[in-house]
Amino acid sequence: MTHLNIQRGVASPNTPSVRQKFWLRGSQIYPYLFLLPGMLLFAMFIIWPMLYSLRISFNDWNVVHPEKSINVGFQNYIDVLTDPIFHRAVVNTLVYVVITVPGQIFLGVLVAMLLNQKFPGRAFFRTVYYLPVITSWVIVTALFEYMFNGQAGLVNSILMSLGVIHEPIRWLADAKLVLVPLCLLGIWKGVGWTAVITLAGLQSIPVHLYEAAAVDGATTSQRFRYITLPLLRPTLVFLLVVLMIGGLNAYISFLLINRAGNLQNDAQVILTWMNKQTFENFNFGQGAAISYLLTAVIFVVSWVQIRLLNREVDYA
Amino acid sequence: MKRKSLLVLSLFMLALVTSIATAAVRAQDVVTVTYWNTYSDPENEQLGKLIAMFENDNPSIKIAPTQYAYNDFKQAILTAIAGGEAPDTIRMDIGWVPPFAQQEALLQLDTALPEFKTLADSVFPGPLATTYYDGKYWGLPLNTNTQVLLWNKDLFDKAGIKDAPKTVAEFVDDACKLTDGTKQYGYALGGTYFWAPAPLFYTMGGKIVDDKVTTADGYVNGKESVAAFQTILDMYKKGCISPNVLGGGIGTAEGHATGLYAMIIDGPWMVDIYKKDYPDFKVNFAPIPAGADGKNSSVVGGEDIVVSATTEHQKEALTWVNYLMSEKAQLFMAQVGVVPTLKSLVGNKELPAYFDIFMKQLETAQARVAHPKWDDMDGAINSAFTKVLKGESDVQTALDEAAKTIDALLVAK
Repeated sequence: MTHLNIQRGVASPNTPSVRQKFWLRGSQIYPYLFLLPGMLLFAMFIIWPMLYSLRISFNDWNVVHPEKSINVGFQNYIDVLTDPIFHRAVVNTLVYVVITVPGQIFLGVLVAMLLNQKFPGRAFFRTVYYLPVITSWVIVTALFEYMFNGQAGLVNSILMSLGVIHEPIRWLADAKLVLVPLCLLGIWKGVGWTAVITLAGLQSIPVHLYEAAAVDGATTSQRFRYITLPLLRPTLVFLLVVLMIGGLNAYISFLLINRAGNLQNDAQVILTWMNKQTFENFNFGQGAAISYLLTAVIFVVSWVQIRLLNREVDYA
Repeated sequence: MKRKSLLVLSLFMLALVTSIATAAVRAQDVVTVTYWNTYSDPENEQLGKLIAMFENDNPSIKIAPTQYAYNDFKQAILTAIAGGEAPDTIRMDIGWVPPFAQQEALLQLDTALPEFKTLADSVFPGPLATTYYDGKYWGLPLNTNTQVLLWNKDLFDKAGIKDAPKTVAEFVDDACKLTDGTKQYGYALGGTYFWAPAPLFYTMGGKIVDDKVTTADGYVNGKESVAAFQTILDMYKKGCISPNVLGGGIGTAEGHATGLYAMIIDGPWMVDIYKKDYPDFKVNFAPIPAGADGKNSSVVGGEDIVVSATTEHQKEALTWVNYLMSEKAQLFMAQVGVVPTLKSLVGNKELPAYFDIFMKQLETAQARVAHPKWDDMDGAINSAFTKVLKGESDVQTALDEAAKTIDALLVAK
């Protein structure tokens, strides 16, 4: 602590002295010293397990006697990439991403624009839209499972009373149909968060731009198109990156709904398949290989999108 | 005065040192044996009392039980093994013994436990078979169960049927008589995983592999196996089986109690489930209907007790295993619905009355394939069953495909 005080005391750059130079040099170490405990934990609980599972991914892993594991080179990766169930899982994951990411962004922006208006009860609605975000995945998945029950589900009975369908649809018994509740769940649960982030973005747009546009006679849709959207771009790209990573990591809802339906391996996503390979099939090497393949994909996707994000916003 | 207090002080110090030393010795003498399990809450409560009885008889051993949810259990065991912290003793699903034995995680019990032969002779052969892998025994069947027929007597009365079906032919007839569009189904299965059709499959003479577990060709796609699935398919096509079999419908337990499903096939735990959820519902059990040869069969479920290969307290762990396998312990746990594996307890008056039918059914019940890749084999049959029900394939073609998959799993290491 005293070191810090001294440093503060001589912070004026006009009177350099030997002593001061020493402390200034020392001050460059401080950030690292303060980061050290966090970095140690990070290394211990993130870096080390990551490297360990990298090692597993190149082995026919023996969990009881790791020293007896056999190095198989890239065989696990080859096995994963040629596995039809993995292909199916990748397709399911991509479908989920392609539907839920635009869905969340579109509805999130819409909700954010509404919540950005001044109207009574605004705080209440802001809270309500955020509620799904903080509820547990396990609970809401069970709720959706219940609503989409093939025999006694709410959705079927509404559709039937409206005359849209004449026979109950077995949502959870079909690998394609089951994506309907899963995607709806993903969108419903994410809209609140997307809206809050968008709302922050909307509020950072200078009001005078809208005022100037109004003076120039711009319509609402023109204002949205030429002011809101361009200035919201960094927010939208940020959302795109984060939501895509989230979508690629879809797990709990698929895991639980797969348990409820008898879909076998037709409705796996990448992470549920990784979990099954590792902990049910005892295929540790392939499980680790899947996690590394997913990491690589997420890395590339994020890198491309962050490059887009870094383009400057043009206020002109 | 000064000297006296010094003496008192030194005596006090001496007493302190010796008491610490004896405490340390005592702590060393008492060995803690960990016991991981998936008992239900009432069973867990009973286990606590059983442990107290055991510790009373064996003051040098302390049992530390940990209760897990079934779905998290495999992962918990694996994580513990990988971290070098495997529990000393585990009560695990009968299907898990071969895969864990293959991972070299289990102690070979037929050589490590002196009483093994006596114990092995005293239990039902079906459950015992589930502990056998690679020519060795890796555990003992701790508790068992099987499935029998549950029939809703009110619905039977209304349809004018006097009793539960005795043969598969009667079962099929009754099921269709008890069906009324989507308001009532004669029969419902919990799903397409093998456990669900297994009792009908076995009772109709179905087989998955040969006795030596070398091939599935001619067995899972053999005449009897095909006939079993064909029977279920025909019932399904006529609407006598609830569509919930393909998932995402009303569960068999609630459907049966509420009069939607006239018959289901399920295990002894249904008694306690209904006691809690549908206290007014009266459960009626009957043996699985007999196949064409007049004999009936069902499927063996349950848990085995195993000892971890890396345990540091092998002797104490084996003492605990012996105790769990004793008549006293088995009878004690039976009070909360845990079906014992000891042949000597058949007909024992201290067992709950509804156990009789399960104990009787166990005499003919068959174990599923004891193989590390059983889960994948189950998956192969499951997908054949699903395809057949969805009309994507005929029974013979689907089971031929399953036979091919299972044969590939049998030759894989």
